[in-house]
Amino acid sequence: MAADDDTKGLRKGRFAPYGLLSPGVIWLLLFFLVPVAILFKASLSTKPSRFATPTFDWAWGNYSSAFSQYGSVFVRSFVYAGTATVLAILIGYPLAYWIATRGGRWKNLLIGLVVVPFFTSYLIRTIAWSSILADENPLVTTLQQVFGSDFRILATPWAVIGGLTYNFMSFMILPIYVSLEKIDFRLTEAAADLGSTTWGAFRKVVLPLSLPGVFAGSLLVFIPAAGDYLNARYLGSPKTSMIGTVVQNKFLVQFDYPQAAALSIVLMVIITAMVLVYSKFLGTEGLAV
Amino acid sequence: MTNRVSRRRFMTGTGAAVGGLVIAPGILAACGGSDSSSGGSSAADVYFDNWTLYIDKPGDKLYGKGGTLDEFQKSSGKKIKYVEGYNDNNEYFAKVQPLLSAGKPIAPNLIAPTFWMAGRYITLGWAEKLPLSKVPNAKNLLTTLQKPPSDPTGEYTLPWQSGMAGIAYNQKVTGRPITKVDDLWDPAFKGKIGMLTEMRDTIGLIAMAQGIDLDKPTYDKFVPAFDKLQEEVDKGQIRAFTGNDYVEGLEQGNFAACIGWSGDVVQLSKSNPDIKFVIPESGGTLWFDTMLVPKGAQNTDSVAEWMNYVYDPVNAARITATVQYISPVQGVQDELKKMGGEAAALADSQLLFPDATTLANLQSWGNLDEAEEQKFDERFAEISGA
Repeated sequence: MAADDDTKGLRKGRFAPYGLLSPGVIWLLLFFLVPVAILFKASLSTKPSRFATPTFDWAWGNYSSAFSQYGSVFVRSFVYAGTATVLAILIGYPLAYWIATRGGRWKNLLIGLVVVPFFTSYLIRTIAWSSILADENPLVTTLQQVFGSDFRILATPWAVIGGLTYNFMSFMILPIYVSLEKIDFRLTEAAADLGSTTWGAFRKVVLPLSLPGVFAGSLLVFIPAAGDYLNARYLGSPKTSMIGTVVQNKFLVQFDYPQAAALSIVLMVIITAMVLVYSKFLGTEGLAV
Repeated sequence: MTNRVSRRRFMTGTGAAVGGLVIAPGILAACGGSDSSSGGSSAADVYFDNWTLYIDKPGDKLYGKGGTLDEFQKSSGKKIKYVEGYNDNNEYFAKVQPLLSAGKPIAPNLIAPTFWMAGRYITLGWAEKLPLSKVPNAKNLLTTLQKPPSDPTGEYTLPWQSGMAGIAYNQKVTGRPITKVDDLWDPAFKGKIGMLTEMRDTIGLIAMAQGIDLDKPTYDKFVPAFDKLQEEVDKGQIRAFTGNDYVEGLEQGNFAACIGWSGDVVQLSKSNPDIKFVIPESGGTLWFDTMLVPKGAQNTDSVAEWMNYVYDPVNAARITATVQYISPVQGVQDELKKMGGEAAALADSQLLFPDATTLANLQSWGNLDEAEEQKFDERFAEISGA
């Protein structure tokens, strides 16, 4: 009898994980898979006239025109997002390292300060930069003394990249900080005992152990940055527009849902491919920080 | 005409100045329309979805009493629900399209599309005919706004407010007065010229400078204007395409000159006399926002009563004193003078009451049919980098 009860309990237990998983699965199904399927269907539709409902007819032409017409905008978006990600690593890593190793009792406060900008809306932070970098602003007028009166920061690619870097910086610092925090720094002492230089210990011990943080941070910065359009809109010029700008315009101004959907799918596919390649190089083990 | 309420009024209206930050009102307004219904919770007779800050409110400085909405409810016994949910012509259209195209009514029974968008609703059969016999005060309307090209029979729309697009410039940066569109292409202003994302105003001004009329537009006719714009973008002459936020660009010296809207500059030039507005020699555009009853809406008689109310010059003047655009109603100028003080000063403004010479120099866009409009929008998006 007792053995019977045990197997029953086991059998019940077999379903428990699925029960626990179901909220997440249902959520993903409803709010991720279904919308992506709808988007995919829309991307293969055509509109008989401008304000008509799109009809599904395997219109792969939407994809070829996404590449032929907007290929350069895609490239620009990825170059800007990639540059912003690299800059975020270059600026964010030393900061996270310093907080994790030298922060002492101020650690929590310092990490809190990293998050503080989030209390202001993303949009307002971006518009604030357009005020700070304005042509008549003392910062720019001073630089004009050096670089000539045509010098400006706003409406250049660097303004857009700078905006992206600034706006997504916290997403880089936090995961790097968490992975550095976990490192037992006695390992560096051990490395020193074994004759390693400080730099050697960092390169061979600390850096590899913190790579999962760099990987997670890069994804968190690169993905939203590649699809962003606000920075291009407020800090850029007509020549620095990103793919998000195009999608927004296609959806809301031109009502070209099929083309907009195709552009979104292409963006998703390219980003996924890039992430897969990137994870091959950096590895995702220990990503669960 | 993404959102043509001046920033200054937005700031004073909400006290939302965040440490000297400069905020584009359209964006903030987009974060949620405020519901200013003064009626109770029961269904309203008139449900007006309008642009932000486009009517006087109780407690406005220029009019201390109850405000137009309360006064209307008192005198008519009708309930009005007034919502500032109309932020952008295209976005609003995208929002209501699913219902209207399926033949279902939307919640508001009165909306405020700009004339060209109103034309689209009419062409698609998404507008109700107005009970014009119940709007006797429509006789007070400016003749230029009666039966406009967007509504040739005048059966579907009546104007709400009107304004002009011309050139706004910062004389401190230009160092000289600007009088014509060609001045914008002066190499001295390279990278310091702004255009509006509102296609009709940007292309309209450039086309008029090339002698192209706006009344019967076709894409082929406008190709030279688009080509000119493309050329200037490629050269780097044009710095950005903006909505209402061009006012910040002008103030901060990012723009030497740009295409802009009259109402904004009226406000801006008060505190910064270097900022000027001019209708270029070749002409400016005249736009207006309409009142339109979407298909399937109920209570059109109450809507007519509201329209009749706001076309009474006394009530219209109260609105003008606050919103400071061109009123569609004749006699507002005299009423403003009677109000005295700041309101009376508005009566003398050329930007609110353009004289015959100015009016003769303004053009309104004719209707663009669906296929033509698509060509315009596509080319414009391509040039502006969208």
